Amino acid sequence: MRPDSPPFRPGRRAVLGGLLGALALTGCGSLRGKPKVREWNLFGGGDGARLLQIHQQYVAEHPDVAFEAHTLAWGPPFYTKLAMSAAGGRAPEVATLHLSRLKGFSPTTMLDPIPVELLADAGVTESDFLPTSWNRAVVDGKLYAVPLDTHPFVLYYNTEICQKAGLLEADGRIKTVKGVDAFLEMLKAVKDVTGKFAASVETTNPWRLWWTLYGQLEGKFFDDTGTRLILDDAKALEALNLMAKLAADGLTPRSSNYSALVAQFSNGDAGLSFNGEWEVTTYQTAKMPFSMAPFPVVYDVPKFAGDAHTFVLPHQSNRNKADTKATVEYIAWMLKHSADWAAGGHIPAYQPVAKSQEYLDLKPQAEYRSVAPDVLFDPDAWFSGSGAQLQNEAAAAFSGVFSGQATPKAALAQFKAATQKLLDTPSPV
Amino acid sequence: MTTATLPVATRTPRRRQQWTFPKAASAVGAVILAVIWLIPLLWALDTSLKPEPETTRAPITWLPEAPTTGAYRSVIEQGDLLRWFLNSTVVSVLVTALTLVVSVLAAYGFSRTTFPGRRVLFGLIIAGILVPPQVLIVPLFQEMTGLGLVDTYWGIVLPQVVAPVMVFVLKKFFDGISRDYEDAARVDGASRWRIVWSVMVPMSRPILVAVGIFTFIGAWNNFLWPFIVTTDPSMMTIPVGLANVQGSYGLRYAQIMASAVLGGLPLLIVYALFQRHVVRGVGDAGIKG
Amino acid sequence: MAVETPSRLTTGTPPAAAKPETGQPWKERWGGLFFVAPFLLLFALFMLWPIVSGLWNSFFNTSLAGVKHEFLGLQNWRDLFGDPAVWSSLKNTLVFTAMSTPPLVIIALVMALLANRRGVLGWLLRFAYFAPFVLPATVVTLIWVWIYQPGFGLVNGLLTAGGFAEIDWLNTENRAMLAVVITTVWWTVGFNFLLYLAALQGIPAQVYEAAAIDGANGRQQLFRITLPLLGRTTGLIIVLQLVASLKIFDQIYLMTNGGPNYATRPIIQYIYESGFTSYRIGYASAISYLFFAVIVIVAVAQFKLFSGRGEDA
Repeated sequence: MRPDSPPFRPGRRAVLGGLLGALALTGCGSLRGKPKVREWNLFGGGDGARLLQIHQQYVAEHPDVAFEAHTLAWGPPFYTKLAMSAAGGRAPEVATLHLSRLKGFSPTTMLDPIPVELLADAGVTESDFLPTSWNRAVVDGKLYAVPLDTHPFVLYYNTEICQKAGLLEADGRIKTVKGVDAFLEMLKAVKDVTGKFAASVETTNPWRLWWTLYGQLEGKFFDDTGTRLILDDAKALEALNLMAKLAADGLTPRSSNYSALVAQFSNGDAGLSFNGEWEVTTYQTAKMPFSMAPFPVVYDVPKFAGDAHTFVLPHQSNRNKADTKATVEYIAWMLKHSADWAAGGHIPAYQPVAKSQEYLDLKPQAEYRSVAPDVLFDPDAWFSGSGAQLQNEAAAAFSGVFSGQATPKAALAQFKAATQKLLDTPSPV
Repeated sequence: MTTATLPVATRTPRRRQQWTFPKAASAVGAVILAVIWLIPLLWALDTSLKPEPETTRAPITWLPEAPTTGAYRSVIEQGDLLRWFLNSTVVSVLVTALTLVVSVLAAYGFSRTTFPGRRVLFGLIIAGILVPPQVLIVPLFQEMTGLGLVDTYWGIVLPQVVAPVMVFVLKKFFDGISRDYEDAARVDGASRWRIVWSVMVPMSRPILVAVGIFTFIGAWNNFLWPFIVTTDPSMMTIPVGLANVQGSYGLRYAQIMASAVLGGLPLLIVYALFQRHVVRGVGDAGIKG
Repeated sequence: MAVETPSRLTTGTPPAAAKPETGQPWKERWGGLFFVAPFLLLFALFMLWPIVSGLWNSFFNTSLAGVKHEFLGLQNWRDLFGDPAVWSSLKNTLVFTAMSTPPLVIIALVMALLANRRGVLGWLLRFAYFAPFVLPATVVTLIWVWIYQPGFGLVNGLLTAGGFAEIDWLNTENRAMLAVVITTVWWTVGFNFLLYLAALQGIPAQVYEAAAIDGANGRQQLFRITLPLLGRTTGLIIVLQLVASLKIFDQIYLMTNGGPNYATRPIIQYIYESGFTSYRIGYASAISYLFFAVIVIVAVAQFKLFSGRGEDA
């Protein structure tokens, strides 16, 4: 009268076995023995490829370190994940962070200070950097970030197309252009040659272009206390009107995301490109004829939107001494080899490399490294910086200026309202 | 006499099907719709076999001119896809096993035993059905940081084991099983624990299989919670890991499609093998309404 | 559905009255708790506790960075009612729900009617219509973002081949939501399709035979018999679909990231951004509660609406 012996019995054993196996897996974390260094970065595209090469060299030279690098998508996906990971206490050993984001990241709770003695042991000290970079990285008297590079907004140009458009000097460099009229003429000449666009831009996030133009008009953003918005409407509108005109005249596409920006310049649909200097590797790999120059001074003063990359130590609840030492050595090694990184376009922050012959000889980097002192960082606020809220609001508002979905006036109003709202929000850091 | 709309799953002897126009039209329409429905998957497969430069050509090419598996090799060698696959497997198996065990025990407790507060507790669980997990992501994450479970398997698994719907469905099912079988087993001296596994579970096999398969698919495909609670790429499950892909692969569309194909393949195979159970499971759920 | 019986049990022999009581009455009275304890423990830890702590946090300015935890009273709640982003993202969620529910019901019905056949064809149709449902969101969105790509995507390729202009689906404000809805329909209609199929297969053949004898043709059978008999299933599908659509996050986040210009951002994404990107855990908790209230209201309203009718087949 007993029911059949239950077929579930073996199942139960399998379940228990599976549970124990999984428990074992959860317990087993990293390879103990070798110090481990996990690195997070947000470098895709040309930067990503370049970093991969550099990391391969690092791994080859350091067989005694368990190294892993991970790339997350640029912007909010990277920063949100990094913050959540630091909050969770199991963050990676080292991560890249834009210098403009440092304050807003709540460094005192989400980052661990850089052990300067270990850094000195590895051969890197304060005197190796420009004071402006170093001081921005110090919060509450402690160093929280080690600067790697500076990266400004620049002009890329297709040498063949510009030759046909008559824009090159005798030495093959592009003619310097000053003023709005000359700027527009240059663009028209290029468009006549390509038959499509003059310049490729990222219309879905035109913050850098606008910030550069507005900065060249010497527009201000926050007052000295950093709590009031003192945007100059006339200057802001002037910059936006110029951007709208570019799209309306067909000099730039009405709608193009970052991938389109790269694709259009590399396949010749656009003879120029307005972008940060980091796509050098991409265009060199595509073997296209190009060079670079400082972005034209369209208005009054030379100013170029830009930022700096740094290395930080995200907060870990249980920091391992061996891992930390290996991490600091990694940072020092990266700095000393930042000429390789600069080959990808960025300007090294580590002065011994910035002044080295190896870097000075690099072309086309030589064409624009002079702008480093004129780099304009994003407005200083907890919600501002590369990929932060302020840039997102600008992207949302200003992309419509290119596509025609919004007038410059409306876009500016939307942006100002959003910025004010951010100012009114109590700071969570 | 038309036979156009006779349902097929009947016990009556099969008539010889007359291929009238409406019947043929409906078959053709069905096939066309099926082809349309399969196109996105086929297009992804098609793209993944093209060499990279061909993927961005305009006008587009319909079939690869020089098919290659290079994208697949790159994705498997360079990426974390294998690790994500391991993570997904561990997580899904754990979630399914634990959910089944915990829900079966709870359903038996509510159905067959009497203890003070049983009705209140059951009512509480029913109320829990109304709570969408999306509402809890913020406090759950805070709790996980407090417990130190961010970026761990248990952090991903444990919240997913709480399935009030399963307890409810299983309890109703157990209610419908005659008590005679248990009583007989009791007479033979079986403890309640033994009864659960020797009587209730074997008799519930079809519904347990359906619950198990759906829980597995749900756990495998779950995006939001694993996305929130894992930040370390080496702990991510397939859906979350793949979401990082676009950033790391840049503009390499063949590789992106290759990773999409590889990401979807395991469950397509599971579905093909277990189609009968899946269809029956959904049907039963619908009929129970 | 019939309950399967173990093959070897004979009938009619269980003792008539008393169950064998072994063990103390304590065990009988409280023993049941041990069975529900594991579930209750997990339920308390991972459902009840977050609900309570979420509500608690909504009265503070808790920060993800752990720096702040000051009592705010109702400040977060006042802020959220005045925050246009809360209402626009809620509106996006509702728009998505309204746009996606009708096709998800109607196409599922059409599919069930077409796929209700035996043999290899039936198996293939069931596979094709339901297969997308078993794919994870990321696979679906990777494929469809590629399909919508301007310049060299499938949709635009077809458009230009047909002589139309390209559309930048995911970057155009009034097209992005449509693109997401199309993708969602492709992805999830399979589940409703199976529900309809099961209901269709449950209609006895005799009903149609009787109607055919009475001279009803195919179309009449469809509209006078099949569809009315599917009324209860349709009600169930609509209820499930509405609540599921309100919880939308995955596809929109992965395809448009809430853009362009926040035109598609659903409320769950705004909760995510407020809490994790902007560090405002307290504020995000308050918005979560508002959203929870909306879901409960909709679910209860539907229950009242649909449980009244259609209990009878």
